[in-house]
Amino acid sequence: MSASPVVSISDDAELARAARHGSRAAFGRLYDRYARMVHGILLARVPPGEVDDLVQDVFLSALRQLAALRDDGAFGGWLAMIARNRAFDYHRRAREFTELPEDLPAAGRHSPDALAALEAIRALPETYRETLLMRLVEGMTGDEIAARTGLTPASVRVNLHRGMKQLRQKLDCEAGS
Amino acid sequence: MRNDYLWDGSGEPDLEVQRLESLLREFRSDRPAPLRAVSGRPRWAAIAAAVALLATGTWLISGGAPEGWQVARAGARPSRLAVGETLETGADGHATLNVGGVGVIAVEANSRLSLERARKTEQRMRLEHGLIHAFIWAPPRTFVVDTPSAIATDLGCYYTLEVDKDGGGLVSVLAGWVSFKRGGHESFIPAGAACLTRPGHGPGTPYREQASPAFRQALQDFDFAHGGDAALAIVLAEATKEDAFTLWHLLTRCDRAQAPRVYDALAALVPPPAGVTREGVVRGDRPMLDQWWDRLGLGNTGWWRHLEGSWPGSTR
Repeated sequence: MSASPVVSISDDAELARAARHGSRAAFGRLYDRYARMVHGILLARVPPGEVDDLVQDVFLSALRQLAALRDDGAFGGWLAMIARNRAFDYHRRAREFTELPEDLPAAGRHSPDALAALEAIRALPETYRETLLMRLVEGMTGDEIAARTGLTPASVRVNLHRGMKQLRQKLDCEAGS
Repeated sequence: MRNDYLWDGSGEPDLEVQRLESLLREFRSDRPAPLRAVSGRPRWAAIAAAVALLATGTWLISGGAPEGWQVARAGARPSRLAVGETLETGADGHATLNVGGVGVIAVEANSRLSLERARKTEQRMRLEHGLIHAFIWAPPRTFVVDTPSAIATDLGCYYTLEVDKDGGGLVSVLAGWVSFKRGGHESFIPAGAACLTRPGHGPGTPYREQASPAFRQALQDFDFAHGGDAALAIVLAEATKEDAFTLWHLLTRCDRAQAPRVYDALAALVPPPAGVTREGVVRGDRPMLDQWWDRLGLGNTGWWRHLEGSWPGSTR
């Protein structure tokens, strides 16, 4: 029941280390920095109406499992994996049980054009859709995406440009059909 | 990496990318961002107001939660916790409670809780013992946790609440505010701060988690171990400007003979505004205390009263 220590730090690995040692303020700063990445990863996989709740689930899971993080510098990749697992778990449960979540995705809250664009992105290969959603929905720059996900800037650049190329082709096809 | 709109929005805009950004913006998260620790004080009122507004918006969209909370446990079929029912996690058990339009609660191992109320305007549970992490986006004061020695009321935030088998507790706030209350004592705990509670005493004085160990120990002695003048002297000597909210709470918790010393220590950290006098504060003058609170940079009293519906009262 002792209060947890809090350190004033800016580096993500240091924040992860402080959070692992019980600093809730450090964990709060990590939340601040990584919430958009987690949101983008989930949006690539689950209905939009479920994403916000699942983002909180992912951070709660991370908070519980933080002691198991072996490499503080790998926090972003580790958190991304928790987010992907959580999305997978969401679909597994949906298959196993016929019981539906209380709050079904509120498709009516979104415009048809926005939903169509989102679906077109979600039909792209996994690496492209995650990176594109972080850029187009979450407003992250290429540098931010690289820093948070642990991908190299070159990989992020490839994902963005190839993903955007495929997306343009897909949207052009849909517009022409 | 400049002049590449797709990379970072710089250079000549790519019209298709711009169109997609605009179209897809509605999928961005509408949850409140976590709040800064106490050191980010100048932003507090604005951020907290945003939390309240966002929470209200979310609530209206959701249309409120039905009776009972959904329970998810590893390897088990999702179930429902109805009002009056108890949930107990074993030595290696965890559970996640989805409170519909209110938030998510992670329940750690060896915890025991019961659902007392599940109404649109009040979601209330009792934590007998154990540890929960609560992330709440309901309007302030909608989500309440009863513990054996205090009542924790959420004011729009993310916090951890731990209750031991003797009934003592600790709330640590990661984002937003929590009110910890019992009888005449109410503590307002901001992000980055914590507050202990003890059976027979109720909530102690809130403190920054970064405060020095000597400060925290002395405060605990003052609140729960009859530490008296000696403990108070250590608290006042160790306090920094960021501990001003702790000293402000102490003004209404210490006895009248101690109050002038607390006044002097707080005045040295955050000078009182014009019109706030030592004599007035020592006798517990409410408007003067409010004016001084407004100087702490934790939000205006008028706004906080509106948010919280009450304010720590004088116990002298």
